Amino acid sequence: MGESIEATLTSLAGDGATGALRAGRAGTVYLHQGRVCHVECQGTPSVEELLTASGRISANGVRTTRQSAVGDGGDILVRRGVLTKGELQLCVLGATLDASFFLFGLAGPKLRFRDGDRHWLGTHWYFDVPALLLECRRRRARLDRAWPSAELDAKPVRPVRRIGSKHVVLSATQWEVLLAADDESTPAELAKRIGLSAYATLVAVRELAAADLLIRPEPEPLPRPVQKPPQKEAPEPEPAASLPRRAERSGLRPGMGPQQPRPITPQTTGDPTDVNLLIRLRDALEALQ
Amino acid sequence: MIGIEDCLFEAMSIPGALGAILVDHASGTAVATRGQPDPERSASGLSEAFRATQVGLALSSPSGTVRIDDMIITTDQSYQLIKTMETPFDGPLLICVRLDLARANLGLARHRLQSISRQLIAS
Repeated sequence: MGESIEATLTSLAGDGATGALRAGRAGTVYLHQGRVCHVECQGTPSVEELLTASGRISANGVRTTRQSAVGDGGDILVRRGVLTKGELQLCVLGATLDASFFLFGLAGPKLRFRDGDRHWLGTHWYFDVPALLLECRRRRARLDRAWPSAELDAKPVRPVRRIGSKHVVLSATQWEVLLAADDESTPAELAKRIGLSAYATLVAVRELAAADLLIRPEPEPLPRPVQKPPQKEAPEPEPAASLPRRAERSGLRPGMGPQQPRPITPQTTGDPTDVNLLIRLRDALEALQ
Repeated sequence: MIGIEDCLFEAMSIPGALGAILVDHASGTAVATRGQPDPERSASGLSEAFRATQVGLALSSPSGTVRIDDMIITTDQSYQLIKTMETPFDGPLLICVRLDLARANLGLARHRLQSISRQLIAS
């Protein structure tokens, strides 16, 4: 595993680099003279998708502009009256913050820096690297304030069929999320479909969960069990008097500690508690013979 | 046609303006700012004030739905003028201007803010 995206970006910023930092297939960070000017992430709506979803331009229109652009695609769109300069800046800014939040949290993508690479839209907004990292942290805290559990972040959004009270107040984003929810799409998929940022969609999903408007996979969340991070190799079984509690079901493990970077796709890891139990069971059976 | 920085520059040229900030409401992000000492805190505070007002008014309005165009809050020190701007891409933006109690003309300030937001976003 290479360096983290954050560390690499910080050193590129120090060098005043211009180019594109590719994080495997997960996304790309574009830098201009040491400042971030555009970020793309596979899981969040791109500027192209936002433009298309807004109805301002067709997918085909975006493609033709992209092909004919030489690092000035944004200016072409503004000249053609597709959107104003302010709208273009806001669109780039929004997409970049959204992509950064999800991309920087990923662990272990292969990083490759291509010097001089530019985004087809050109440069329309700048972020200082420390400020961008700070903003990502602030967003994570904001998300946890809405509802401090990640258990629904990557699961299909399933609204409850009947609410527990007579009325409910929804924000415009929450309304769109509920309307688009089909019991199968995850928040990230819904975001792409309705053309909202993945972050705003996730905030809405957490707020809906906090208001008891979504079906949860478990009837009640555990009262903060002490969990160890999953380990590659099973450690030696400890001669503890009591068995460690098995934390929910194996597979996707929600709430793996708020500091841990959370991938947007479900993780499939073996539950170390289960492995420990199996090893102890085997040892006990061997001792019986 | 203006960009984000020009928009704040224009907002600060409103008579009596002490500070201006552009906030992304959905995330509480301070997009750009002028004359605000702690942009991050201002952004989350203003965004929260807007949210609370929206929910409160929705509950108290006969139809149950409200669309806030702008909010004027008079404090002992200043006016806070908060205007919403719908964007074609994401949730609304808030443009917030802090105005001097003695020097500002609220009618003029609202009018100017309206024209600024129309120049920034076409819809």
